[in-house]
Formats: sequence, structure tokens, C-alpha cells
Amino acid sequence: MSPKKTRTCVMEIDHREVSFPEGVTVLRAAELNDVYIPSLCSHKDLSPFGGCRMCIVEIESMRGYPLACSTVAAEGMKVLTDTATLREMRKEILQLILSEHPSSCLICSEETECRENQHTIRKVGVTTGCRYCPNDIQCELQEVVERTGITDIDYPIYYRGYEVEHDDPFYDRDYNICILCGRCVRMCQEVRGTSVLAFKFRGPEAQIGPAFGKSHVEAGCEFCGACVSVCPTGTLADKASKWDGEPDGIRVSTCPFCGIGCQVELHHKDGRLSKVEANLDPEINDGQLCVRGRFCMPEATHHHQRAKKPMLRRGEYFREVTWDESIDEVAGKLKGIKADEFLMVVSGDLTNEGLFAAQKFVRSALGINSIDSTARESLPGGLGLWAKLFSLSISMKGIREADCIIALGLDSRFYFSVAGVDIRRALKNGANLVTIDARDSNLASYTKHWLRPTPGKEGAVLDAIVQGIGKSNSGFKSVAKKTDVDEGLLAQAVSTLSSGENLAVVIGPTIFEYEANEELIDALTRLARRTNTTFMPLYNGANTRGAFELGVISELLPGVAKAKGKGVTLSDVIEGTATPKVLYLVGEVPFFDRPDCEYVIAQGTYYPPFEVDAFLPAASFAEAEGTLTNVEGRVQELVGIEDLPDSAVAGFARPDWLIFSRLAEKLKCSEFKYKSAKAVLKDISKTVADFPAKADRKPRRLTPKAKLPIDRHAGGSEGADPFLLVAEPAGFAHRGTDLASKVEGLEELALEEGFRLNPDDLGKLRVDSGERITVSVGKLTVTGQAKADKECPRGTVYFHRPVAYGGLEHRAELEPLYRLRKSPVKAEVARSVEKKRSTKAAPKKTAAASR
Amino acid sequence: MAAYEPVLLRNKGVENSTALKVYESRGGYQALRKALKMNPEEVVEEVKRANLRGRGGAGFPAGVKWGFLPKDRTVTYLCVNSDESEPPTFSNRVLIEIDPHMLVEGTIITAYATRAQVAYIYMRVEFHEQFHILQKAIDEAYAAGYLGSKVLGSDFALECYIHRGAGAYVCGEETGLIESIEGKRGCPRIKPPFPAVEGLFYKPTVVNNVETLCNVPHIIERGADWFTGIGPQHSTGPKLFCISGPVNKPGCYEGAMDITVRDLIEREDMGGGMLPGKKVKGVLPGGVSVGILTADELDMKMDFQDPAKYGLLGLGTAAAVVIDQDTDMRSVLRNMARFYGTESCGQCTQCREGTAWMHTIARRIEADGGRIEDLDIIAETARSMGMMPGLSICGLSDGATYPLETIVKKFHSELEESIRAQSPTETDALAGAVGH
Repeated sequence: MSPKKTRTCVMEIDHREVSFPEGVTVLRAAELNDVYIPSLCSHKDLSPFGGCRMCIVEIESMRGYPLACSTVAAEGMKVLTDTATLREMRKEILQLILSEHPSSCLICSEETECRENQHTIRKVGVTTGCRYCPNDIQCELQEVVERTGITDIDYPIYYRGYEVEHDDPFYDRDYNICILCGRCVRMCQEVRGTSVLAFKFRGPEAQIGPAFGKSHVEAGCEFCGACVSVCPTGTLADKASKWDGEPDGIRVSTCPFCGIGCQVELHHKDGRLSKVEANLDPEINDGQLCVRGRFCMPEATHHHQRAKKPMLRRGEYFREVTWDESIDEVAGKLKGIKADEFLMVVSGDLTNEGLFAAQKFVRSALGINSIDSTARESLPGGLGLWAKLFSLSISMKGIREADCIIALGLDSRFYFSVAGVDIRRALKNGANLVTIDARDSNLASYTKHWLRPTPGKEGAVLDAIVQGIGKSNSGFKSVAKKTDVDEGLLAQAVSTLSSGENLAVVIGPTIFEYEANEELIDALTRLARRTNTTFMPLYNGANTRGAFELGVISELLPGVAKAKGKGVTLSDVIEGTATPKVLYLVGEVPFFDRPDCEYVIAQGTYYPPFEVDAFLPAASFAEAEGTLTNVEGRVQELVGIEDLPDSAVAGFARPDWLIFSRLAEKLKCSEFKYKSAKAVLKDISKTVADFPAKADRKPRRLTPKAKLPIDRHAGGSEGADPFLLVAEPAGFAHRGTDLASKVEGLEELALEEGFRLNPDDLGKLRVDSGERITVSVGKLTVTGQAKADKECPRGTVYFHRPVAYGGLEHRAELEPLYRLRKSPVKAEVARSVEKKRSTKAAPKKTAAASR
Repeated sequence: MAAYEPVLLRNKGVENSTALKVYESRGGYQALRKALKMNPEEVVEEVKRANLRGRGGAGFPAGVKWGFLPKDRTVTYLCVNSDESEPPTFSNRVLIEIDPHMLVEGTIITAYATRAQVAYIYMRVEFHEQFHILQKAIDEAYAAGYLGSKVLGSDFALECYIHRGAGAYVCGEETGLIESIEGKRGCPRIKPPFPAVEGLFYKPTVVNNVETLCNVPHIIERGADWFTGIGPQHSTGPKLFCISGPVNKPGCYEGAMDITVRDLIEREDMGGGMLPGKKVKGVLPGGVSVGILTADELDMKMDFQDPAKYGLLGLGTAAAVVIDQDTDMRSVLRNMARFYGTESCGQCTQCREGTAWMHTIARRIEADGGRIEDLDIIAETARSMGMMPGLSICGLSDGATYPLETIVKKFHSELEESIRAQSPTETDALAGAVGH
């Protein structure tokens, strides 16, 4: 698809000759030529609505007063935008709008002085000025009123008297000040493709909201905040930053919550992060975000539980100490430590600088190789497979531009929403979508063919499709039988996909959670050989790719080279085959309980849920600058927006790389002379070929030097047990902590606990939804609550496996299952015989987790 | 005057007139057979020549409308507008009750002429019995081979569905109707693009009123020349007129468009004169949206041209409601204002806010809380809402302003007198003054 060349045309606006690109509206043409036409309902990303009627103009040879926002500009058109009649009519229209909008913030004789002195004698004004609207000074209506020159309103003021809606998370809605411009509705329908918001009722009672009086949560809202961002008034406002007022400044940064790496605009006020908006970056997110990026950043870094001070265990006490004291003690513990006595576990959410410094610290300062990262779990199938996949064409834009899309195991409501938006954009442009998912998803309603295999067989279906594309349709019989997918449907899907040229394959984290089976690997390998194919692996962890490239795994060195010498790994500790004396957790909490180690060091932004001996407070994404490597290989900048001096309130946190540097210095290692994050990045680019020396948004394909192993397991689950137990990765993890425990609104969206089964299966088991069941896998038996869920296929039991354990103490009941390496796995299910709910079902010993 | 031979209501009073057999025995479906022997362009040409103007209200020539369809289209839809929500109008209802097959036949011929593959009959939800009557007729037509994959054995295929509305006035507007069939909230679309280019499901679409389509079989059967022979040159063909209010015989009558409002009220074969003791004070002659006539203006012709001379919007639906001397014009004003205030879809500012404020003010006037300047405010609001073309997306706000503005203008002295004579109690005034 090549972009169409647009012709430049000429027209006359207010007797001035101006040029404009063919196809734009009169309003846009005026805007491009700095001619102001007032408008409240139009928005550059949305279709014309024609509701506010403010943008009326006079066009020669056109009857009446056409709208600038919906009239397409034409060669030679003569437009008048500011005649006496138009001004008069606009005033009249604006008065009608204001007759239902509180207006003391708009027209007041004392407005200017009041802003300075707040001297007004009216009651409300005494302490607050008239600032009862969160959008004051940032309001588009204020601007339009000022420019239209309204000083008085003939109509009496009618206050609608709706109750302000606080009942959904993240944003408040005060429809008393809504002007019904419909931007939010169009944003939700046209750009996001979710259609949660609609107009309700009619005439003067017309109102915005989900249809049929549902709450936003029920109606399927993704809480992406796109509606809030386009609201011209204060009707929709972020709960967290509602009264922050005008920001001091805005800086573009990268979202630190997942591997897509959306570009965000950080608003700051008084040196603190106040609010996040999407950046209009066309490469990745194009003005869109998900709930985490849009709403969770300020709370995640400003939560009252945020650990901001170095702490050491002193007898029975856990005490605040100075940085020097803590560095002395930790360095002392690490001095001369041997490889089998130590393990450092690093989160895949750290910056490149933090990750690189971590592995360098272990390898250079300690001279051992005992480092591991939870990033390994996000990338199953072995390092070889991922080395291969990262060398492919991975592109978010590629999804938008594809004409055929396969989505596997992806529900984009709260996770990777931006990918979901891109898929729906492609569909709007005529692309076809095939979903392969055992469970229902928010994409299933848009799909052309929904293939619903037995859980765990998605890879086999994908493989059959990849082999079948472009060939004559036959030979799906065995695959259909093996995967329980209808043969005809499979053939149809293949024929649909064969008609397209550009294929995009989007794989969600559920699939990566499965034990990598041969068929998935085969399918991915085959895809790797295809041309015109975009691949989009959506894995957990913001910088998983960085962790892989920078060698934060014992068997890998920076630059994807093989490391010599074996170190302790995380799975050794979890399985009990190794018990290091000292455990160093860097931004990661892979356990529910403290493991059996002599000395545990935690370095992070929140305390882990168990006792540690030393805590080193790390700077959060808002405080430390650095870079993150996204799924496409772009090295993107993370801006340190908060740079407040150390204090009891601001805390004493330090960037990860700086903590490692100070420890290394103490250990007399001379290789850590970093003065800034930029210096670390320079060092990385010296060590790793192809890695840029400063933030560079160019996508990179990996060129691995070493030949790395691919893990292969025969797919399928043996055993005669009647049910398939499926683990789904879940939780809003960031640096080892589930953000749902820190961000108030996320808690409401937090995922269900316990087991979920098809209602028919529950009926057969004679279990009511909400009662307890026992699930046995081999010798392992776990009891938990069962819930009916229509979306689960018959014969399956689903449960959520948390991606991070920080902040999730109460989820320990199913903990033994989290350690099961296999998923899906055959299981026996029975109604629980226990009389009363037993106390904690978790085992006494090291409650370890992860696969 | 030569006796008018009814065309559209010719089966009125015939026993079991809704049955297919009865309709066929009286010459039904012959026009369809004739049309299928012509090619679609010839059918369009014939209707164009007959100058069949739309009966829904705007009076746009049907054949011309069909001619706007793009030549290279592959999918075309036909929507039949049976939303009939203009207040005193009930001619569609009468047509469906008496002769549902006439509508089905007109629909099939129009679909053939416009090469539509699917026809949706959009029926207002209040038509319960009429829905069953029409559905039975459609079922009969399918069974008899008039509808389906091979219409009368030809290659022409047509599926026909009834889509029932949910009770919104604005869904009688063609793009509002299209949105409603698509399952969306009834809201008009910005034009252009017009439905002929981008209508239902964003495909070329023709929207016509029930009465318009009922004329089509007769034009095909008897020819355009016969049709243009009825009525004045600019307003050809048979037309249904409704009359209600304090007349002796309220109902739906057929005639040529050469009758006057007075004829409609007085003629023995029509309204049959006023009830004893009642005198005409005013008439809303074309549904309510065109505006009002005073008792001195009853010589207005019920055609497509004359109403403009009386300051009215147009012929409208040709459904007259008579207001007698005992009716308080303040109540009429309030009643009109209320209707538009609750039926505006809420999209365009002027319509949403303007109708609401006019309703508030009219309520205040009726409740003895009016002020003389209120009349000017209504006139002024009406002017800035819809008296000038192109001020809102659809015609609803134009339709809302004409009756209110003409009532205030033509009955100004009476309204002024009432306001001066009022002795408001505090509660009355408050009742009218607060809220929409």
C-alpha cells in the first residue's frame, strides 16, 4: 500500500487566496492557513458530527450557512468565515449552549483580576475563585467564548441537576457541564472500535453514557481514557489528577508498563508527575493508550506504600539507615561470594541501563555468573527461538497495514489494548481477522472466523494455517481431529487468509504461558520464512527484549553471546536444587514467602511481601531516566520527570545502575565509573554491536552470533483425567508488584480468583457457582472456589497465574498450581468435601512459584 | 367539477380487501407483470415523466431521486418509509389497512426500477395491527412468487422485510430511518452524501414514502399521461388528505391536488363541515410542521406550491387539523412546543436547546406566567433555529419553528391579549418557569 499523493488546491478564504491539500474539509483548510473558525465538536481524528453548529460559514453559490467541519473544500471555493451575520448567529448558538452550562467561569466582569487576587465577594469565590471545574483555564469552551465575544446570556441558566458519576474507576463524569459535542462517543466508536459510549435519550434530555444504564465496567470499557482526552470541557476528568490544574510542562516519554513501548506525554506540576496523555506518535500508538499507560503511572509511583528509604534488619527491627551504611553492609555480604552461594534475580521491567549494570555487577564485580531474570518465563521455547523471532520483521504499524490478521490467545481489553485498536483499524480498512482462541475474547466479536481449539492446541492450528495459506484446501482432517476445530471452518479460514497479501500474526501472552510445544515452534519457524509477514509477540515485561539482548540470564552475555560457566538459576531455587546463601532480588518478587536463604537483599520500589535483610530503594520510572527496548527493538527514552532533592517526602531512591555502581565501588571494582544513565548506555553500545549509543527509535532486527538451543516438547496432555487445567497469565505486573494492589482503580478490574468452569460442567459436578471444588493433578490437590464462566469451553478449568506476587498475599490459595510447569494439564475435578473453608492452603515450606 | 374516481382508496369498503385473491381479482399485480416486461430504466423514465412528487412531506420528485443512484452500483437498498409520525397524519395507516398488496406491489416495482435486492419497510412501532396485516400480505406475496429469488419466474430477486421502529419522530427523516434500520440510535446523518450515494449500510439507497410507492403501480398500469392528467401541472396524481378536529366526518379522503383547505373541511364527501356550534379559528393544514393558517386563509390550495404564499413550509403530509374558536391558542402553542421539545434527537445545538427553551416559554405562557416579550423570544429563537436553511442537520428544527413562529405571528394579538389578561398565581408562574 503506497500512500496516495495528494494534490494541492487553491481556494479563497476571507478574500485571501490560500492553498490546501485535496480532500480536506473547509475547517481543516482554514486551520492549515491560520484562519480561526470556532468549533466545539470537530476533532481532527474524528468524523464530522455537525452538532455544535459553531463553524457555520458562508460559501459562494451554496445555499444557507454550510458547516466548515463537514463541507469538503473544493478548488476555487470562496468562503467567508467572519461576517457580521455569522458573528451574530454564532453568538446566538453559543448562548444556547451556555444556557445549559454553568458560565461563571466563562463570562464574569471580574474574571481577570479574580485569577490574580480571588477577591470576589460571592460565597463560592472567597477561597476558590470560581474554580469548581477541573478544566478551568484548559477549557476549549472558555477559548471559544472569549473569541466569540459573549459577555451576557439572554436565557436563564438551566442546571440539569444530574448526579456526578463517580462509580467507575479512573475518571469522573459530570454531565451537568457536558455540551453534547459527541467527541467521546465518536472516539470510542470510530478510533477505539469499542462502542461503549453512546448517546442516550433525546432532545434536551440527551445524555452520554453506556447504553441501557450499564456501568462502564459492565459495558466493556477498556478505560483507555481516549474519551477523557478529547473532552473539550471538564465533564470527563481523571480522578487522580482532577484538581491539578494547568500543568507546568509536558515531556514526551515512553510507557514503562509493557513491551509495546507506547509514547506518552507526561504532565508535571511542582516537580511531580501529575497526569499522562497519549502522544500522537505515528510509529507505535498513534494517540492511543491502555488503562495502565493512561491512568496508572502517577499512582504507581506516588502510592503511600512506596518504599523510599534504605532499610536494614537490626535484630528484631527493620530500620531506616543511610545509604552509606546500607552499601557497606550489602557489599560486605557480597565480598568474595562464590557462584553457588549467590543468585541475583532481575526483573524484565528495568531500564536497559539497570539491566546492563546488574549483569555487569555480577560478572565483573563479583566475578561469578549467578544471574537470572524472570524475563526468561515471558519467552518460552528457549533462547534460540527468541533469537530467531527478534530477527524478524516486528512492527505495530504492520498490524494497521495488514489485510489479513491472525490473533492467538489475545484479549486486548486491559492488556495490549493498543494492539487491539490497531487490529480494529485494519478491519475498518477491510482486513480480515481470524482468531484462534479457546476462550471468548474482546476480539472474537470482530472476527471473521473464530477457531476454537482445545486449549494448548492453538500452535497446531496456527501451523496448519501457515502451511495451508496459498495452497489448495485439503488435508485438514487430521489437524481438525487433533485440535477439535471444525474442518470446514479451518478450510474457510485458510481460504480467507490466502486472499490477502500482508499477513500479521499477533500472539497474546496466554499462548506463551503454555509450555512451548513443537507445533507452535514449527509454526513460528515457518512464519519466520514467509515474506510480507509481520509478527507481533505480546509477552509480559516492559523490557524483556532488553533483558535478553543484554544478557541478564546466566547462559547469555550481552549481545546474545553464550556465557561460560554455569550459575545458579531461579528455577534451581524454586525446585530446591540449590540454596544460595545470599539472594539479591532486583525489582522482582518471584516468591510468596521468604526462601530459605541466609541473607535476602531486595532492591525495588515496593517492599516484597516477606521479610528481607536489606532493602535498597530504587528510583521509579518517573524518577530515573534511561531507555527501554520495545518489542520492535526500538531503544526508547524514559524521561526522568521527577528530580526532587532527597527528603522524607520525596525519599532517597536511586537509579538501579547507580546502586550497582556504588556497590561495585565498595567492592573495589574499577569498571563502574558511570556519572549518568547516558554513560551506561554508551558503555552498552560499546559492548553490544547494533545497540545505539543514545536513545534511537529505529526498529532493530537482532543478528545473533551464537547458535542457541530451542526447547521442544511434544505437545498435548496425556492422562485419562476428564478436565484440562489451563493457566492464564494475569495481573498488572510492574517490577514484581501487581499494580492492582497500588492503583485504586485497577483493583476493580483485577482478575477473578479461584477456578472458572463452564456452567454445564458445574451442573454435572453438582456444584453451584461460588462453591468450592478440589482440583487434582497427579498427586497435587488444591481446593478453591469455582465460578461459572460461559466463556470457558466445556471440559476445561481455567485459573489465573499471577505474573507478579508483590502485593498479592491473599492469592496464595492456588499457589501450588502456579509452580506446575505444564499447562494445559489433565486434571480431576470434584466437589470439595471440606466442611468449612480451611485456613491457608499454601504449603509451609518455601512457597516458591514460577515455572 | 367532474366526479373524482378514487385510485388509492378504490378498494375501500370492498370485503376482505387485504387478501391477495381479492386484490388480484380487482386487477392487482398486473402492473408488476407489465413492469417486468419493461427494462428498469424505462420504469424510472415513466415515473419521472409522471412527475410523481414524494408524498412524505418534502415533495421531491421520486423518479429524479431514483436517477441519483450511481450507475456502477452493485448493491442497492430500498427503504419504505412507514414511520408516519407527523402528528395528525394517518394516510399510510389507512392504505395499509385497506390495500396492503398495493404497497407490496409498489415496493416490488420500485425495487425492480432501482435494481434493489432488498427492501425494508420501516414501520412505526405503534402500528400493531397494521404490522400483522402487512406481514400477512408479504407472506402471501412470497407464496405466490411475487417476492423471493425469482419474481414471477424472472431473474429479478427481491427480499422484503418489515423493520419496526422504536417510537422516534426523527426516524421518519430518511437518514434517521437508515440509522435506525442499522440498529443505531435515531439520528440524522450529515448530507451530502445523500442516501442515493451512501445510505443503508453505506450502500446506495432509495427511501420513499408508502403513499408515493402506492402510486407507482397505477402509473405503470395506466401510463404517465393519465397520471399527469390529474390535478394541476406541478402537483400531479391522486393524493390522500387527512382531516381531524371538530368536523363532522374526520378521516382520510382522496382527491386531486386542486382542492382547497375549505373544500377539505366543508365538502360532503370529505370533512362534511364543522360540528354544530363550532367555527374555524385556525388550521394546521399539512401535519403540524408546515405552520398554521387563520380562518381567513382557507382558500389555500392543497398542492405543492400554494402553501408558500401563506408563509408555510410546504404541503407537508396534507393532513389538516382544525382548531375551533373555543381552543386557547396558548395551549396550541404549548402542545406544538412540547412535541418538538421531546422529539429533537439532541444532536444540533439550536434544535436541542431551542426546542427546549420554546417549550419552557410556551409552558409559562399557558400557565398564566407569560410576558409580552416572550412572544418575541419565541419568534427570535425560531429564526435562529430553522427559518434559515442549513442551520441544522435535518429538517426537524425547520419543522419545529414554522408552527411556533406562524402561531406567534398570525395569532399575535390574541396571545398578547391573553397575556395581558392573565392573573397569575405564584404557583402557576413558577410551574411554567422552571426547567425544560
